[in-house]
Amino acid sequence: MVALLHPDLLINLTLRDLRSQYKRSALGWTWSVLNPLVAVVVYSAVFSLFLRIQPTVGDPSGLDSYAVFLLVTLLPWQFFVTSLTGATRAITSNSSLITKIYFPRWVLPTSAVLARFITLLVEMAVLLVVIALWEGHIAFQWIPVVLALMVLQLLFTVGLALMISAANVYFRDIQHFLNVAMQPWMFLTPILYPLNLVPSDRELFGISYRTLYQLNPMVSWAKAYRNVLYDLRFPSAERWLGIVIAAGVVLALGFRVFNRLEPRMAEEV
Amino acid sequence: MPSPSGAPAISLAGLGKKFRLTHDRNWTLKATLLAGHRTRYEEFWALRDVSFDIPHGSTFGIIGGNGSGKSTLLKVLAGILRADEGTATANGRLSALLELGAGFHPELTGRENIYLNGAILGFTARDIRQRFDDIVGFAELDQFIDEPVRNYSSGMYVRLGFSVAIHVEPEILLVDEVLAVGDHTFQRRCLERFDRLRDEGRTIVVVSHDLDMIGWLCERTAWINHGSLAAIGPSGEVIQKFVDGGDGAGLPAPGTPGAGLLSLRGLGPDDLVRSVDLLDPNGQPLPAATSGGPVTFRVRYDAARAGETVIVALGLYRADGTHVTSINSGAAAAAAGSDGVVEVDYHLPALPVQPGTYELSVALHDTTMKKVFERHTHLVRFSVEPGGGDHQTGLVALGGTWQARAGGA
Repeated sequence: MVALLHPDLLINLTLRDLRSQYKRSALGWTWSVLNPLVAVVVYSAVFSLFLRIQPTVGDPSGLDSYAVFLLVTLLPWQFFVTSLTGATRAITSNSSLITKIYFPRWVLPTSAVLARFITLLVEMAVLLVVIALWEGHIAFQWIPVVLALMVLQLLFTVGLALMISAANVYFRDIQHFLNVAMQPWMFLTPILYPLNLVPSDRELFGISYRTLYQLNPMVSWAKAYRNVLYDLRFPSAERWLGIVIAAGVVLALGFRVFNRLEPRMAEEV
Repeated sequence: MPSPSGAPAISLAGLGKKFRLTHDRNWTLKATLLAGHRTRYEEFWALRDVSFDIPHGSTFGIIGGNGSGKSTLLKVLAGILRADEGTATANGRLSALLELGAGFHPELTGRENIYLNGAILGFTARDIRQRFDDIVGFAELDQFIDEPVRNYSSGMYVRLGFSVAIHVEPEILLVDEVLAVGDHTFQRRCLERFDRLRDEGRTIVVVSHDLDMIGWLCERTAWINHGSLAAIGPSGEVIQKFVDGGDGAGLPAPGTPGAGLLSLRGLGPDDLVRSVDLLDPNGQPLPAATSGGPVTFRVRYDAARAGETVIVALGLYRADGTHVTSINSGAAAAAAGSDGVVEVDYHLPALPVQPGTYELSVALHDTTMKKVFERHTHLVRFSVEPGGGDHQTGLVALGGTWQARAGGA
């Protein structure tokens, strides 16, 4: 069973992605810190200072900080975006490998996601330490819950990455579509603002905007991350159920789609 | 390798592989949606109804012209392409050498790439650690192993790729033309390593254009022609059929001018050399030369345009690149014909080389040999067939005679 997962191949390809990422750049790994840092400064200025969006006060933590409110969801979101954009080209950019050597192809998009997941782990660890020092906001006791959430998000992302990477071999439009889709998707997820700003008293086709909005699976993750790291409480049972089902379904679907598209990959890539 | 229940290493049954030739390769989602169906394409069978077995512990060659389907066959065996018809079964751990260093990442060091490439070929980190020194040693890269491979020369790159692949210790090794790269020393070491693998009872399948190497390395050979099996059997016989058969790879039919000579590169209208021919003593074109038999090489060149006396130099090579000999015509001045062309013949009463495939290089020099007008390396290829004499092996045909008599005074 373990052998079926090709751990050595996954580890080596993940290391390849991590090692080659910042090769020959002067700042190297500093870039992975600079990226969220710049984002948090810009978003804080625009949304908190100019547009005066009020973050919800943490319950029961009592925390009221837009930067923390933003970061606990922004880091997992950025992992999601970079994973998908990276995985889209995981098959097509490795065509020389695919047409010359046989090995299970699913490890390519999966390792692309894993490499970003390692980055996310480091970023989240740094975040926990920084908010403990800066805001006196201690969230360390919630680490096992956050890890569970992150692993579920990893499975969800791998499922989506498998579908997208395989489909992109046949339709190169996918990679462009993805670039277009990620920006609106971010704005339709409660990352920059709290969920309660989405109107529940107005309706479209007889369904409230809030309900429609929650069809986006990323809403559950954003809420759950915020529950644990900002509010310091355990997410509701329904939230967990939604997350587990979404991860399971997307992962299973991802492998199904990938296995169907795999046989002709070496010819089409 | 013990063969499990005597099953062949590789078994092909009715194997077929088709490709889609799309007229509009630029697929878009929009086009697909508008067309309501996939983009129109034509089907092309690269392989059809190929059935044969490769026994365990043998070395097996696959030959054929360009586009005959032999590389497709190897890719189906390697699992890279999936058969559309029939089955290809491999019994045993299989490794394919289709391109050396295919999995290397230029920014990573040689060391990192060994682990990466090993993992892609199915090795665990522990397997690699145990063989690491051997891999580096065989590739002769001890000093450079912690350098990024983008700084490697192409030779170093290929050596490392070969070394990793060969240390995976497959029961079945598939090799496609990879020995065409690398210098002679390295090629020799690769062939020695193949020898060792063969002695260990492993199965080696080689696809190559190099008929000499196939003949030397492989016990049995299959000739694939236009996607189907044209011949299979002992290598010598199959290679002979292939050379005789003229499978459309450019071997002209016997009897036509230039028969027996396969042009490896074309001569342009600007070239001084007009033609190279293989002739018998009566000036008739030969389909092939005969070992120990008479042969004439005729070079025709444009003397009018050369403007001065020209020395014709011929270089004879075996198809594996071994230099057999080089000869100069001396200042063989002759009056040009009305078309300005001079014919130079080099006549050999008994061609002193062993049967096989040979290549001829042609160069035109001035009389001081300091100036080269033209050099056509490996211009034509021709085959030398066995003569009637006693059986010989090696490089040259000595053409001597044996005599036995009673010893003593």
